[in-house]
Amino acid sequence: MGYVNDTAMSLYVPPTLFHCVTGTWTQAAGAVTDTICMHKAAGAETAVVNIPIMLPSNSVALKGSYLKSIEIDYELKAAGATSVTAVLNKVTRGVDGAVAVVSTPAITQDLAAGSAAATQAKHKLTVTLTTPEWIDNDVYFLLELSLICAGTVTVDILGAVANSTLRI
Amino acid sequence: MGYVNDTAMSLYVPPTLFHCVTGTWTMAAGQVAGTIVKKVNDANQTSTINIPIPVPSNSVALKGSLLKSIEIDFEIVTAAMEEVTAVVNKVTRGIDTAVAVVAPQTFTYDVGNNSAAKRYAVGKHRMTLTITTPFWVDNDEYVLVELTVNQAGDTGVIELLGAVANYTKRL
Repeated sequence: MGYVNDTAMSLYVPPTLFHCVTGTWTQAAGAVTDTICMHKAAGAETAVVNIPIMLPSNSVALKGSYLKSIEIDYELKAAGATSVTAVLNKVTRGVDGAVAVVSTPAITQDLAAGSAAATQAKHKLTVTLTTPEWIDNDVYFLLELSLICAGTVTVDILGAVANSTLRI
Repeated sequence: MGYVNDTAMSLYVPPTLFHCVTGTWTMAAGQVAGTIVKKVNDANQTSTINIPIPVPSNSVALKGSLLKSIEIDFEIVTAAMEEVTAVVNKVTRGIDTAVAVVAPQTFTYDVGNNSAAKRYAVGKHRMTLTITTPFWVDNDEYVLVELTVNQAGDTGVIELLGAVANYTKRL
């Protein structure tokens, strides 16, 4: 039996997978020709975007995917936002009849929420897990991005990339 | 060259991948803070939800993904449905100009969802569909789990949290 332990795996998460709540969101062409994005129209509101991390999981400890970091590509246009804040939600599914349980593993974001991440510009925001995690088959991760926007700012979210180790 | 045969693989399928027809479907926060759902409006209607199962396939026999079971997490709130039924469809793509061919696969429900009354009851559901004869997914095939949800004038709605496909990976 062979064995794979690749520490340099990445998975692109397209914007069509994103779960966008609050604000008017549409699929649109990106600012760069031939790119795609989820576009938020101008509006004073706090938009919440959940990014599902679709990495393979495994019921055996220390196997499957070891989630290390997530990068989010987005652009704030017309004006800067008040803040762009990431939270990583770890959802442990309930058995039949039981609720899911959500915890929030510690992370750091390389761009500060209320300043560098919120400027009118193109951004590549990297969220790093303080303690990377093997993904159990009863668990999934949602990267929740909260964008506090004033009335003029528009948002284009191009996609995300999840970085992991694959061990099978 | 190595060889992998991992029998404990799973893949989360978020609700944003679900294909929902009939009814007004929206993205919303789930009942538990920090979760997400796709939910339908309250109306007298029968909705069809197709859940794509995007496990890797392989053109070589007995390689790629051996699909064994699919779990669907959903919640019925306020009042019961009149029907929640699942079908596991294996779609064999046609060659150019030819139609696809669909073959429903035999499966069993888990004990908590193995009757109509259990499936449409108010509450949180983790419904497991166990494929009677697991199959390797060929590169010319894909799998859709089709849910039929009949609200029939009740005041209840269904909220879909996601699904998980369980498979063996061999490559």
